[in-house]
Amino acid sequence: MALERKSLVIDEREAASWIRDGMTIAIGGFINSSHPMAIVRQIIRRGVRGLTVIGPASGGLDLDLLIGAGCVRKLVTAYMGGEHYCPVAPMFRAAVEHGELEVWECDEGMYYCALRAAAQRLPFTPWKAGIGTSFPEVNPDIKVFTDPITGEPLLAIPAIKPDIAIIYAAHADPYGNVQHIGTGFGDRALWRAADRTIVQVERIIPNEEVRRNPLATSLYGVDAVVRAPYGSHPFAAPGYYIEDAEHLREYVAAAMTYAKHGDRGPFDAYLRRYVLEPETHADYLEVIGIKRLISLHEY
Amino acid sequence: MAKAYAKDFTTKELIAAFIARQVRDGERVAVGAGLHVPRAGILLAHLLYCPNVRLYMVMTFTNVLKEPKMEPFYTVTDFRPAKWAEAYVLHDDFQENPRLVSNMFVVGALQIDPYGNSNLIGVGKDYRRLTFRGPGAIGTTSMAHYVDRYYLYVQSHDRRIFVEKCDFISTVGWGEGGADGRRRLGLPDNGPTYCITPLCLMDFEPQTKRMRLKSVHPGVTVDDVVRNTGFELIVPDIVPETEPPTVEELRVLRERIDVEGMLRT
Repeated sequence: MALERKSLVIDEREAASWIRDGMTIAIGGFINSSHPMAIVRQIIRRGVRGLTVIGPASGGLDLDLLIGAGCVRKLVTAYMGGEHYCPVAPMFRAAVEHGELEVWECDEGMYYCALRAAAQRLPFTPWKAGIGTSFPEVNPDIKVFTDPITGEPLLAIPAIKPDIAIIYAAHADPYGNVQHIGTGFGDRALWRAADRTIVQVERIIPNEEVRRNPLATSLYGVDAVVRAPYGSHPFAAPGYYIEDAEHLREYVAAAMTYAKHGDRGPFDAYLRRYVLEPETHADYLEVIGIKRLISLHEY
Repeated sequence: MAKAYAKDFTTKELIAAFIARQVRDGERVAVGAGLHVPRAGILLAHLLYCPNVRLYMVMTFTNVLKEPKMEPFYTVTDFRPAKWAEAYVLHDDFQENPRLVSNMFVVGALQIDPYGNSNLIGVGKDYRRLTFRGPGAIGTTSMAHYVDRYYLYVQSHDRRIFVEKCDFISTVGWGEGGADGRRRLGLPDNGPTYCITPLCLMDFEPQTKRMRLKSVHPGVTVDDVVRNTGFELIVPDIVPETEPPTVEELRVLRERIDVEGMLRT
């Protein structure tokens, strides 16, 4: 019998079932772009609790939604906001101020040091930037030590290892060869550090198309591929759609009502309407509506 | 020939013109998306004075000298400016050598102390019980460390921002002060150059490295600045008015860079 290469394609429900309470997961993208939202929403539907979430170097409102839904115990990122949509992510802000969320305080340079140490199976990466700051004080995992070469102070940024990285990209073939459109932000650092990687894509492309330009393959050998068209909505997807500004403003208004006035009503309504009630990603897209989705073009 | 200065301009346009004069030709310069005024200032420098600047803009590396008009973009993830890209900057590469993307940087803050140490982490005496949780340091700690020079930039000037002591420090300035303030920490001497606010420009007195008033913007008095600063500012006997934008700077700013008029409000 001829051997066949196995397809790694799974759906968002199976992908989310890999995520269990208390795990350390990494979620790719960058602020308002390229988040694996079909999987993120399914994680919330499953009611996963106690996650340590490694966001992108600069995190966005996808993480804010996970925090508001009660999934996150600890967060690793250097920024939490929505740029001009909101300077500080509202549910994140409220959770921290209420003492409900632990933050692994770092800047983007330190963040990549932690992932690099994990990828290289090293206890830490040395880093100079941050000497003279409060980081070692507010993040006791970061230690000041004396460089054995120069005798000068350095920071030891310890490894943080994701059990699973969940990444959004434009394309992948069924065998785990992934091709981003755009830079892919810091997604490669998450993939290098993680034990396993799930990539959610707009389109699954034939293996022949990957072989046409292997230089475009940004991640290889990932563990599973999830097809979810419009799967980064309401965030942008380079080459496919821009972010849904109206939807993001609706989210921010709901979350701000809680952050500013302590009223969770609008946030819970958002959660029900857009996350808990739609059973699948396709159901979510129906709630958003085809007119809105196809209006999210660049020109 | 004397410069022809513009008469009618906003404070944001004034600040953009100041920032434009800080950029040197041939440098690599990071252009943030969120801080519209510094972004406009750097682009103004590029289009008017620095044709060979290499812009690190919205995750791309580029030169937009021949662009007749910059189309607006609002976020660091906005893919539209990628049409100008000469190279992609993979974000995780920036840690490999931050100087490959920029020689200068602009750092925002929730709090700034007299020595230019700044805080984006949050406000409150107890880190576990912050009264205001800030956005986080972003890349400011590392970028400020690696670039030749950095600038502090805030969008309001009051006693909540300019404090005797930051609750937390996310980007180190001149440490505890003194000409060797940074060397005592084991750091190179590339602390903050200027602090830019809607009221004034400040620099750091060379011996103490304490913040010193350099110029006030039109319509602002020295007393306005002192009253709104929560620490003792060094105030020279003569404090000039901030140099206005030239007619040409204002024209390029309005016609080619800030076409939507974000700096005019």
